Amino acid sequence: MPSPAAPALNPAERLLNLVIALVNTNAAMTKQQVRTAVAGYSDAPSDEAFERMFERDKDMLRALGIPVVTVGTGGHTDELGYRIDQDAYALPPIDLTPAELGVLSLAAQFWQDKTLQTDINRAMVKLRAAGAGDPSADALAGLAPSVRAVGDAYGPLMEAIEARRAVTFSYRAAYNGAVLTRHVEPWRIAARDGGWYLMCFDRDRQAPRVFRMSRIESRVRITGPTDAYEIPDFETDVMLGKAHGEVRQAVVAVRPERAGALRARAKPVPDGEREAYNGRLPRPAGGADGGADDRADDRAGARAGWDILEVPYRSLSGMAAEAAGYGAALVVLEPQAVREETLRRLTAAAALGSGPETGSTAGTQAEATRG
Amino acid sequence: MAERADDRLLRLLGIVAYLDGAGPVPVADLAKRFGTTPAQIQKDVDALWVSGTPGYWPDDLIDFDAASIDRGVVHLTEARGMTRPLRLGTREAVALVAALRAMKATGAVQADPARSAVVESALGKLTDATGEAASAVDVRLAPGGDRQVVAAISSALVAHRRLRIRYVTSSDVVSEREVDPVRLHTQDEYAYLAAWCYRAAAPRTFRVDRILEAVETDVPVQEHPGVGEPSAEIDFAALFAGGSSPLATIRFAPRARWFAEEVPVESVRNLPDGDFEVTLRVTNPGWLRSTLIQLAPYVRSVAPRPLADDVAGAAREALDVYGASSVPRDGATSANHH
Repeated sequence: MPSPAAPALNPAERLLNLVIALVNTNAAMTKQQVRTAVAGYSDAPSDEAFERMFERDKDMLRALGIPVVTVGTGGHTDELGYRIDQDAYALPPIDLTPAELGVLSLAAQFWQDKTLQTDINRAMVKLRAAGAGDPSADALAGLAPSVRAVGDAYGPLMEAIEARRAVTFSYRAAYNGAVLTRHVEPWRIAARDGGWYLMCFDRDRQAPRVFRMSRIESRVRITGPTDAYEIPDFETDVMLGKAHGEVRQAVVAVRPERAGALRARAKPVPDGEREAYNGRLPRPAGGADGGADDRADDRAGARAGWDILEVPYRSLSGMAAEAAGYGAALVVLEPQAVREETLRRLTAAAALGSGPETGSTAGTQAEATRG
Repeated sequence: MAERADDRLLRLLGIVAYLDGAGPVPVADLAKRFGTTPAQIQKDVDALWVSGTPGYWPDDLIDFDAASIDRGVVHLTEARGMTRPLRLGTREAVALVAALRAMKATGAVQADPARSAVVESALGKLTDATGEAASAVDVRLAPGGDRQVVAAISSALVAHRRLRIRYVTSSDVVSEREVDPVRLHTQDEYAYLAAWCYRAAAPRTFRVDRILEAVETDVPVQEHPGVGEPSAEIDFAALFAGGSSPLATIRFAPRARWFAEEVPVESVRNLPDGDFEVTLRVTNPGWLRSTLIQLAPYVRSVAPRPLADDVAGAAREALDVYGASSVPRDGATSANHH
């Protein structure tokens, strides 16, 4: 006699009873058997309500990694039966040391997104159920790695990558700010230098493309059939175009004690080469030691007022931006291309103010409307 | 807040699978293992006790030793076959593996062979068990600064010793400080040292790539109440804090969009022509001046006027220095100089 233990079981307990029933059944259970025999399902007030409940529960179990398989019940009906194979869902033996568990616990704090935290907490519950001792945090004491939030696009993109399905979204282009709808086949998402990127095949352009996820302006919608494409083998950094630019050296003159962060990766120009730069240094102008204008003193003064450093860089515009940011405390001597790009930034910045002679109060708005 | 049904189901199944191999376990230990409260474990045990195979006669049910429960110990006597721990789903494996791979590549882990080894072995066992390439997500964090600096910080954190550091601020001012290290956050493109700073007599966060030198002293760290409560998140709001600082409004061309994405701003307004306008609090004028010069070709306007003049003035001063330099403007290089 089916006698559910309580009149209205909560969903977790109903799911638990479904799992136990479908694991222990001899061959399979039909839907009707589930409805009449498994605790919680006889609560369904109608056929439709039962169908919805059962379908939702199967989806939830699949999402947890407990697939409900469908089998023919044999005999003369074509009714389907359901069961769960423990072999299909069991975790292979995994023998984690306390230190390794400690590392995994730290990984659990790595994500800022709710969906990813849920994923990782589930993984931890499963691993903790598999035994092992208590985690030990000693190995990584004091460390707290984390990555910035991916955002809402993560869920649908992961689902699409798993099922090899296409997605659409609207995207704001960086070069002109226009928002367009994109149709892509997602391959991978990656975090580099504080940004999240979607690597994919762009169906509109018929070419591989990288999108910056913070510029996706709509919900990501999954469309089309599963297994619609294959994901090729590729290197994240190659596709992002990073680690490509070779390391080059710039030569800069820096005021003593200034540009500390740049100094941290720079080194002084070798003694033999210093002389070549001394003659090209700016005078220690603007508030150096009083009257260093004496011609005879010029070279010595220049030498005293500036350190000459060699700085490695990969990106010309990045190097120029950094150099310009130090203002009058740093002068780029070489190469000429970096020097010119630095001057371009400084010139643009100098134009932002009202200037000493023009005093127009409406200037900022007016002169800035078009670049 | 009500717990989600699927999360509770995972724990219910987890408890049975774990107890099947573990023998009697105190309620408190179970609570700790599964990250919940003893009261919740009691409820879980009550729910398990009445669950089982259809029929639900006593022999059909999951069973516990009642006498043990009364002593606060959970002793499973019948598992109804639910003895196998669940395998990790694809998304779960992805989340774990991507985090571990990112951790493995950080300077703080690389700096210490013992740490590298334990992260490596955890990663190996995990990928063995999941059998997934898990390459759907690829995260790389900041390299984390100078190797010797990172090594000194890591070592001081483990040994609980004070550090002496030389630090350059974002306004380009160098100072020497003694600090008690609390935590090394690696977040995205930068690593940060959270510490008690004796110079400021207050908790401070230092960007590791701006620490020019770090030396571990033999002075043990002291207790500083309220400093470094476990929190993986960096309080960017506090780093850029200051509700009373003046507001600035800057209009950018589209190419500078990263500014709105990476700098904590009060608001962003997208304009019809693709430009965008951000409003932010000026808590660090030196940093803002330097950043606006860097981005100047993409800056359309800066308000209020004194801020714009400050940026332009600094740029003009720099242009004067370049003008005074004797480098020929036709692009001669050192190779053919002299």
